[in-house]
Amino acid sequence: MITTMFIVMILCLALGFPMMIPLILGPMLMVIFFLPQDPMFLAQQMVGGISSDVLMAVPLFIFAADIMTAGRTSQRLLDFIGAFVGHLRGGYAITTAAACTMFGAISGSTQATVVAIGKPMRERLRNIGYKDSSAIALIINASDIALLIPPSIGMIIYALMTNTSVGDLFIAGVGPGLLIFLFFAAYAVIHAKIFNIPLAEKALWRDRMVTTWRALLPLGFPIIIVGGIYSGYFTPMEAAGVSVLYAMILEVVVYRAVSLKEIPGISLSTGLVTSAVFILVAGGQAFAWVASISGLPGMIEETFLGNDPSALYVLIIVAIFFFIGCMFVDPIVVILILTPIFFPAAEAAGVDPVHLGVVITFQAALGSATPPFGVDIFTASAAFNKSYIDVIRGTPPYIVMLVVVAVLVIVFEEISLFYRYLPFL
Amino acid sequence: GDEEAGGDNGGDGPEYEWDFITEETPGQVQYEYAQEYADLLNEKSDGRIEVDVFEFGGLGSEVDQLEQLQAGGVELGIVSPGFVSTLVEEAQIFSLHYLLPDDQEQTQEILNESEAVNEMLAEKYVEQGLQPLSFWTEGAMQWTGSSQLRSSEDFEGFLMRTQESPLMIESYGAYGADATPLSWEELYGGLQQGQVDGQENPIFFIEDASFHEVQDHMTISNHNSYVAVTTMNQNIYEELPEDIQEIVHETTEEMRDIGFDLQDELNEERLEMIEEDEENPTEVYELTDEEIEEFQDLARPVRDFFREEEGEEAAEILDQLEEDIAEVTGEEE
Amino acid sequence: MNPIKKLDYGLMKAEEFILSFAIIAIFVLVTGNALSRRFLGTSWPFSSELAEAFVYLATFMGISYAARKGRHIRMSAFFDIAPYKVKKALSIIIPFVTALVLFALAYYSLGYLEQTTNRVTTALRLPYYIILLPVPVGLTLGGLQFLRNMWINIIEKEIYIGTEMKESDRE
Ligand code: NA
Ligand code: NA
Repeated sequence: MITTMFIVMILCLALGFPMMIPLILGPMLMVIFFLPQDPMFLAQQMVGGISSDVLMAVPLFIFAADIMTAGRTSQRLLDFIGAFVGHLRGGYAITTAAACTMFGAISGSTQATVVAIGKPMRERLRNIGYKDSSAIALIINASDIALLIPPSIGMIIYALMTNTSVGDLFIAGVGPGLLIFLFFAAYAVIHAKIFNIPLAEKALWRDRMVTTWRALLPLGFPIIIVGGIYSGYFTPMEAAGVSVLYAMILEVVVYRAVSLKEIPGISLSTGLVTSAVFILVAGGQAFAWVASISGLPGMIEETFLGNDPSALYVLIIVAIFFFIGCMFVDPIVVILILTPIFFPAAEAAGVDPVHLGVVITFQAALGSATPPFGVDIFTASAAFNKSYIDVIRGTPPYIVMLVVVAVLVIVFEEISLFYRYLPFL
Repeated sequence: GDEEAGGDNGGDGPEYEWDFITEETPGQVQYEYAQEYADLLNEKSDGRIEVDVFEFGGLGSEVDQLEQLQAGGVELGIVSPGFVSTLVEEAQIFSLHYLLPDDQEQTQEILNESEAVNEMLAEKYVEQGLQPLSFWTEGAMQWTGSSQLRSSEDFEGFLMRTQESPLMIESYGAYGADATPLSWEELYGGLQQGQVDGQENPIFFIEDASFHEVQDHMTISNHNSYVAVTTMNQNIYEELPEDIQEIVHETTEEMRDIGFDLQDELNEERLEMIEEDEENPTEVYELTDEEIEEFQDLARPVRDFFREEEGEEAAEILDQLEEDIAEVTGEEE
Repeated sequence: MNPIKKLDYGLMKAEEFILSFAIIAIFVLVTGNALSRRFLGTSWPFSSELAEAFVYLATFMGISYAARKGRHIRMSAFFDIAPYKVKKALSIIIPFVTALVLFALAYYSLGYLEQTTNRVTTALRLPYYIILLPVPVGLTLGGLQFLRNMWINIIEKEIYIGTEMKESDRE
């Protein structure tokens, strides 16, 4: 019966239905025909799927990004970066990856990163000669780093479910996060060389001073957000709200580039993107619910873990299942459902719980940027108003790199557990 | 939750297949309790009842699960007052500070015997389609803080994380704290960065969620107990044949002591782990009788807030519960 | 303008207002709570539950608006390369089935609303079904919008991926 559900879902998907339909229709048919549950709970699960406080950061960061894009903030910020690295090979691509890493460290949300960094960076990358598909692929994949760099919501949830130290997990995510960044940076250089992306003229120091001066207030964003969070002023979710406030003050009051009258129009576009993405997050929860009550987790355990598996085998199975799960469902929900299935087996096989947590978080991040389903892809598609196929066109090289890094992280636990070798920690 | 009769007792599968929801994960009190409950039911019924225990996660939030229990999509569940109080507002009575005694054995005795709990309050659950089978404690609630918490002075300007319930906010307001609602996903980070200064939970949960890593102090305040309620869907319960109802009751009764020992051992063990964690030192301090007295005095007027906010029937339950408590503790209020 | 068009225009304006207002409300609630806690020492206990209500409102009331503008996310690889006749057939079948699914879900969600009659929100003790009201309403309006999308594909020669969005107009 669960096969029927998957067939219906894949068929609807392939024919070009709005993606919410496979996500809703699959579970709906299951509940109506095969399960004793009342179909009304589909609505409950959908609402529940979008009721997390943490998710609220997504529309807010989108709103802030929309205001900055309508005004001058993004432009000034990118002028500034361009003046310093624009003349380097792949300089802008590296900047994008670095900006995504930094923003991920702030927001903890991959979707928010896609929008906040992606929107202004995409324009800039296109202007200097990147193909749109390359620009978008870079953005959605670099945004994944957000799930690995602390603070990471995924890790917090894993920690609670497995009684692992949150602090250890946070440190352990840094190594793999930086490794992805290095791979992407190296690729940026090679890619720029092969496609002969034109180099900008090296900026004069005088221009650099000017752009720096002009970017001073926009550069306050990371300071306000990071500073605000680390000094205990607000939570990461609230930081999203404060960044809207800051964007409004800059654009409306300081630069007078956006008038107050334009704000409702901007928030309408934010609302449209929010709706298009959140209806899928909602549908994903309905799907997860049906999977849970039809005993899918138990079936996986019996079929794939068997007796006395080795540590490496368990890790590979974990990686595969989380990867697949996150193609369909929000990473947080996948962590909630699959972690308990695999954790006991992994522990018995001698896998370090911190290492397992990193592998799981890594796969969750990877899966959400990988076709067919992936919340980051949805977000990019909605935010940039690009068709699905255009969004995923440029992703293969990144997926190859991510898989390579995933294998490295699985095989060499030192990449995650490096901190245990540092005497001062 | 397929609750179908399996036809002849010829041994092809159990007669009753029940789903049992919990708000916790393996290794935590509710889940371990539910597992033992499931085994015991199966054993007592000679395999006629088979119970599938669900840990928290797959079926949605605590309230989502509760609604599925209400509608009979699942048969059995453990629900706690914090979540049920959006349906049964009177259940908030267990959020009152220094109402139940700090001695857990006395608390358990009260929960087992009290008329207020097992009849008057239980009736409120039944009105919502929920049949409470037993009320039991998962352990006393304790405070953790970035600074010490021993008197109302320590609470002055202290950002105490609570849930959104007006009663909880009032309770900490009474000590002079700034009650701060914060979702639990943001709690660890909030404690670490200082968006909030402290929180309350039973010891095993504090250790499981690693809150002690980001808190310097833990106060054994025993200000109330985390009361769990073993619950069955009311319609399903009503329609059970008498012998099965009897088995359910026997199982629930036997689980009282098992559940108590479960939480007792777990809380004890986790307290040691917190004390012995040298990487994340946490100063554990047990309030003296005098210190408790100050908080008791401050907490008492909140009972009137509860009476006023929750209405006449809730007030009657509280009056009766106060009597039931006095009977066990031997103290006149 | 005929009455139906007028009604539809009014609906569109309402949808625009709701989406726009919901986002601003979420911003005010979240930011206001943070600032009030830090600078006045008092939190807004209602902040989170109201903000959630506005998230539901935006998500479900946005279904119809996104359908108008052809902004629902879909994987169009096969659709894009299909010959005109197949495309035309799909552009009629897909909105039709989509509308049916949304209507069915709207119907089931009414059952859920009924289930929650006694539930109240934690902070404000508001009846929970009020917060859920956008679910059946939004799904129904969404379904109607997809029916319109089907109809326009029946009567027009061009392919419309949204009621107001021709395939050829997309970037
Ligand atoms: Na992060
Ligand atoms: Na991701």
